[in-house]
Amino acid sequence: MVARTVDLRSDTVTKPTAAMRAAMANAEVADDVLDYDPTALRLETEMARVTGKEAALFVPSGTMGNLISVLVHCNIRGSEVILGSNSHIHIYENGGISTIGGVHPRTVKNNDDGTMDVDLIEAAIRDPRGEIVYPTTRLICLENTQANSTVMSYGMISNQCSCGGRCLSAEYTDKVGELAKKHGLKLHIDGARIFNASIALGVPVHRLLKAADSASVCLSKGLGAPVGSVIVGSKSFIARARILRKTLGGGMRQVGILCAAALVALRENVPKLEDDHKKAKMLAEGLNQIKGLRLNAAAVETNIIFFKVVEGAKLTAEKLCKNLEQHGILVMQESLTSIRVVIHHQISESDVQYTLSCFKQALTGVKEENGN
Amino acid sequence: MVARTVDLRSDTVTKPTAAMRAAMANAEVADDVLDYDPSALRLETEMAKVTGKEAALFVPSGTMGNLISVLVHCNIRGSEVILGSNSHIHIYENGGISTIGGVHPRTVKNNDDGTMDVDLIEAAIRDPRGEIVYPTTRLICLENTQANCGGRCLSAEYTDEVGELAKKHGLKLHIDGARIFNASIALGVPVHRLLQAADSVSVCLSKGLGAPVGSVIVGSKSFIARARILRKTLGGGMRQVGILCAAALVALRENVPKLEDDHKKAKMLAEGLNQIKGLRLNAAAVETNIIFFKVLEGAKLTAEKLCKNLEQHGILVMQESPTSIRVVIHHQISESDVQYTLSCFKQALTGVKEENGN
Repeated sequence: MVARTVDLRSDTVTKPTAAMRAAMANAEVADDVLDYDPTALRLETEMARVTGKEAALFVPSGTMGNLISVLVHCNIRGSEVILGSNSHIHIYENGGISTIGGVHPRTVKNNDDGTMDVDLIEAAIRDPRGEIVYPTTRLICLENTQANSTVMSYGMISNQCSCGGRCLSAEYTDKVGELAKKHGLKLHIDGARIFNASIALGVPVHRLLKAADSASVCLSKGLGAPVGSVIVGSKSFIARARILRKTLGGGMRQVGILCAAALVALRENVPKLEDDHKKAKMLAEGLNQIKGLRLNAAAVETNIIFFKVVEGAKLTAEKLCKNLEQHGILVMQESLTSIRVVIHHQISESDVQYTLSCFKQALTGVKEENGN
Repeated sequence: MVARTVDLRSDTVTKPTAAMRAAMANAEVADDVLDYDPSALRLETEMAKVTGKEAALFVPSGTMGNLISVLVHCNIRGSEVILGSNSHIHIYENGGISTIGGVHPRTVKNNDDGTMDVDLIEAAIRDPRGEIVYPTTRLICLENTQANCGGRCLSAEYTDEVGELAKKHGLKLHIDGARIFNASIALGVPVHRLLQAADSVSVCLSKGLGAPVGSVIVGSKSFIARARILRKTLGGGMRQVGILCAAALVALRENVPKLEDDHKKAKMLAEGLNQIKGLRLNAAAVETNIIFFKVLEGAKLTAEKLCKNLEQHGILVMQESPTSIRVVIHHQISESDVQYTLSCFKQALTGVKEENGN
């Protein structure tokens, strides 16, 4: 078959562009621990400006961005954080906020649209009068876009299908922010894909993050930088974050190399996200027409698609994934019956068409003309 | 004055060379979390070979290298680790093994030569019969070269002796080998021989070897497998990290021999400083690239004023205490920089302005 790879497993697979490689090769650097690396400083200044916060800090990963944020807000022993039952922090970060940070999680169910009911969040806040038996709630976390609305265990069969990459509106975020303030809590936003939300909603990033005390934003996903995320927040928050970053081992020396690529990502790749969303819609609508697959195409707001392989389909989800792999198409199996695909800027429209034709061939046995 | 900077604060200040920049620009990369980044894999394979261990793992910093190693060896709650009272882990890593990892430290005094007395290490091991009140000792940590004692080398024989003690008591041995290559060059002993007794080691590429970022942990396959997960948990799982690993590979392949010149320059600087009225140091104890010296009472300037004076001449040093200063030599410090440095010291402390013999 065609020796072509279409890697739809995640937007983290993006490779650095020629512009990024040139920027990395020429980056002005210094020891970011002893002093400030000038390129890191440039990136952090730009990110603070774009997000409307006082200061910013480059970190090696979104996991560290969230871990530091939770631990800085919850630096007093006996703290609790409220977050979504399907949030990335709760499901995919090794439970680090607890195992490493000693913070207790209190989950609230994520709705399909990525939100949590505000009254359920409020109900989860610990009453200080119960402090003799309660931990102390200090923080609420939101995730925008919400990557996975309904996390399945691998062996699950379910009638449900996750919704992915859902946008939280500025109004919803503000409402949660007001709730936090009312109870003296902080608000952290896992904004790994906040730029996707911003483009999809047509709302500036700083407006989406206005109510947040801190946010963690990935440069290595859809924006395509090779490595890293940036935490943003107040000057005092970032000062404490810098120390915790060092403690966790994230204090890198001439890190401007990576920040130079991240700056290119920030300056060049944000508009491309709109095309990613169009390609995702195109792929979602195409998949929805294939016998044996089912998904909620209307719920595809950004670059993430979940779909079900229905009972009675020609192949199981697992066999379908293997079949696709033989045609060079890499996807992520989420459960016994569901699959996730993620679009990024290094997936072309032609790749999308090729993908659809492979799905059709696998599930209906109809071989398309080679209209790549 | 001359607009020249001689940065002697640390060997971490080294900037990437042209060869490193080219390697980074051309590095073959992939998502190191979902799969394996090929350049990271190449570096890790090379480091495992050089250190004589089964496997290796690239991490963003020496702090993370040590933190992961201690936490993986001490993954059971209630653990204690024995380490030097003057060790980098104990003094300069934010107490992370405890605040982040829940591990209890038990320090043993470092001798001037960087060692700890083996019988004092043994005495610090908790007797299991006291477990109702004791934490459980699981790990001993050594540091080679021992930085705070002045870049002192631990011999293979000493390391083996501590390794045997560890085995005798069912403990693991981790070596903070941030500057293990300096030790290897200074002693004329291969790195893998120095690390033979160790269950794990953390080795820096970003110090004397000059890479922009990173360290590598080495150990058994099972140790590294657990380390990889903890690295992700701490937030050190980077995606197309081959960019950084490509530079580290250049450092590993090209810059090890340069360490010998660093040691020569350090000796030259140490002997020159020792002749200056107002300063005192043990030049014989300068084995690698780190020099500590005292500013004597009655010297023309205090340590603090001396540092400021030097800074005005573009010379950056690290004040360690009200009376002592540290300087560190690296491959981007030339012999001419060393001479210039000595002349600035002389001028500051004796008021004698040298001819401009840069």
